[in-house]
Amino acid sequence: MFNRRTLIAATAAFGLSVSATALMAQNEQVTIGLALPSLTLDFFDQIRGAASAHAEDLGIELIIVDANGDSARQVDQVQDMISRGIDALVYVPAGATAAAVPVRAAQRAGIPVVTLDRNPPNAPGDTFIASDSVAGARNIGEYLVEMTGGTAKVAILQGQIGTTPEIARDQGLMEAFEGHPGMEIVAAQPANWLQDQGFNIAQDMLQANPDITVFVGRSDAPAMGAAQAIKVANIDHKIWVVGFDGLPVALEAVRDGSLDATATQQTNLMGRLSIDSALALLQGEELPAEQLLDVTLTTSENVQGFIENHP
Amino acid sequence: MEPIAKRMQKRPLLSAVVGWLKQITGPLIGLLLLCLVLSLMTDSFLTKNNLLNVMDQVTVLGVMAIGMTFVILIGGIDLSVGALLAVSTMVMGALNAYAGVPLPIAMLAGVMAAAIGGFANGVLVVQLGVPSFVATLAMMSIARGVANITTDGTQITGYSAWFSELSIIRYGGLLSATVAFFIFLALVCGVLLSYHTMGRKIYAIGGGSEVARLAGIRARAYTMWIYVFCGVTAGFGGVLLATRLDSSDPSAGLGWELDTIAAVVIGGASLSGGVGSIGGTVIGVLIIGVLRNGLNLIGISPFIQQIVIGLVIAFAVILDQLRLRRG
Repeated sequence: MFNRRTLIAATAAFGLSVSATALMAQNEQVTIGLALPSLTLDFFDQIRGAASAHAEDLGIELIIVDANGDSARQVDQVQDMISRGIDALVYVPAGATAAAVPVRAAQRAGIPVVTLDRNPPNAPGDTFIASDSVAGARNIGEYLVEMTGGTAKVAILQGQIGTTPEIARDQGLMEAFEGHPGMEIVAAQPANWLQDQGFNIAQDMLQANPDITVFVGRSDAPAMGAAQAIKVANIDHKIWVVGFDGLPVALEAVRDGSLDATATQQTNLMGRLSIDSALALLQGEELPAEQLLDVTLTTSENVQGFIENHP
Repeated sequence: MEPIAKRMQKRPLLSAVVGWLKQITGPLIGLLLLCLVLSLMTDSFLTKNNLLNVMDQVTVLGVMAIGMTFVILIGGIDLSVGALLAVSTMVMGALNAYAGVPLPIAMLAGVMAAAIGGFANGVLVVQLGVPSFVATLAMMSIARGVANITTDGTQITGYSAWFSELSIIRYGGLLSATVAFFIFLALVCGVLLSYHTMGRKIYAIGGGSEVARLAGIRARAYTMWIYVFCGVTAGFGGVLLATRLDSSDPSAGLGWELDTIAAVVIGGASLSGGVGSIGGTVIGVLIIGVLRNGLNLIGISPFIQQIVIGLVIAFAVILDQLRLRRG
């Protein structure tokens, strides 16, 4: 599990916290802006929690804005934070577009930008922090191939079409299914990362294809919706349900058996690393263009450790 | 209904200005109070650069709210503007990026596409007698679907440099082209509505369309064109948003119909029709913009922001009700 990338990330994280301490020693009030896409999604709320706890430990002022899924609103908010005089920006793009405008605006104002989770292709941040979604989804796919013996009717609850995580997780899953023609995809529809949409769409999919044997949620929330739909539908055969993210509620669902597996992202580390990276950029340090964090396949066998101590 | 009667009379310029100011006093005092509180709470609010930022930020909402003002004045409502904005931005984007149509023509086509949606709203309301709430609710869903179909749900990023500079470069250090467009549109519509016979007829329709019809006003034709115009302003909104984001997204403008209606209502318009003005709407738009901007500047938690914005909407309308009752 501990490959070279983990080591690099760990070393970077250590180095960053050292420089963060050094910066604090200068006794300057540092203000960092955190632009989040939508706090109705638990994943981002978890990042908010981790980042603000870490900022408080370091004695940094952290300003948080929530775009409510609206990329235009987010441009306004970033503009406002720049007017307010933030020293560095942590930008988690909203909407499918991953608008380049906030990055450009911050860079025009001479403010370093850390992008998190999604990166505008035409104007990347000074450093980009994300999970290795492709590898994580590949692990999920390989797990499914193993569990179903390579024959399954697969239904996919997609994320918002066109977003980086949706594209990367699709790619990973398809890589795992390659060479296994028995893994047949019978339905795929966007549930937009939402539990209630996942529930409804899964219900309709089961109505149309009662012999579905696998539900892949591109994130945990729609996967949990699908699990509920299966429970309600009284199906007479085993249906495998997998998610992605490793949200605390989903980890409990894995422990209790309503989800079979998820891929746990190091959400808390992401929150902390984004603050540390922003501080390092302020110190004038060079950071790698991409800092990819490992994602761990989580089943009932290893879930307890993640519940007790979320990475 | 006194304001209408007053409007019908000819009167000198001075009393016209006084009358106009009277009509928007409530919202105007609210806006000034808000600015006062915000400039006391943070140094970064009352700076030239920040106030220009606010103008940039409210432009799309403002342009759409102008169209909505007309609809609300005649006692209607348009829930489809957010989705029509998405149709406009996607039609423009797809024509330019996939079909290689030059941007100016693609921009026109985007606005036209939204106008067609507005026309359909008009047909439903005027010809088929569907209540405007239901007709435009249906259009909201249809238009969102159309916006998604144009590119199969994916976004378009990166336009020509001159296009995004329309909302970036501030001419004379003050106005970007997009903000100038908003101000121009507000002035033209404000003058037409207050000083042209067309405006008086629109107020008359809002006061009671049967009476207006008996008075010889072609209420059906006016209603039709007002829905088309509201679609056109949503179309403008789609183009303006694309310059601001340098991209087009089929999920753009989700829920914006509610912001737009809120702006018009905060500006003193009545949802039962006949009362309201462009000046009031512009102030309503500025109240929403200044409030969001200020809360971000102060650094108030996003959860508290939602509560504050809701309270301000409720408070603005309560104030107006009290004023009307006394007045």
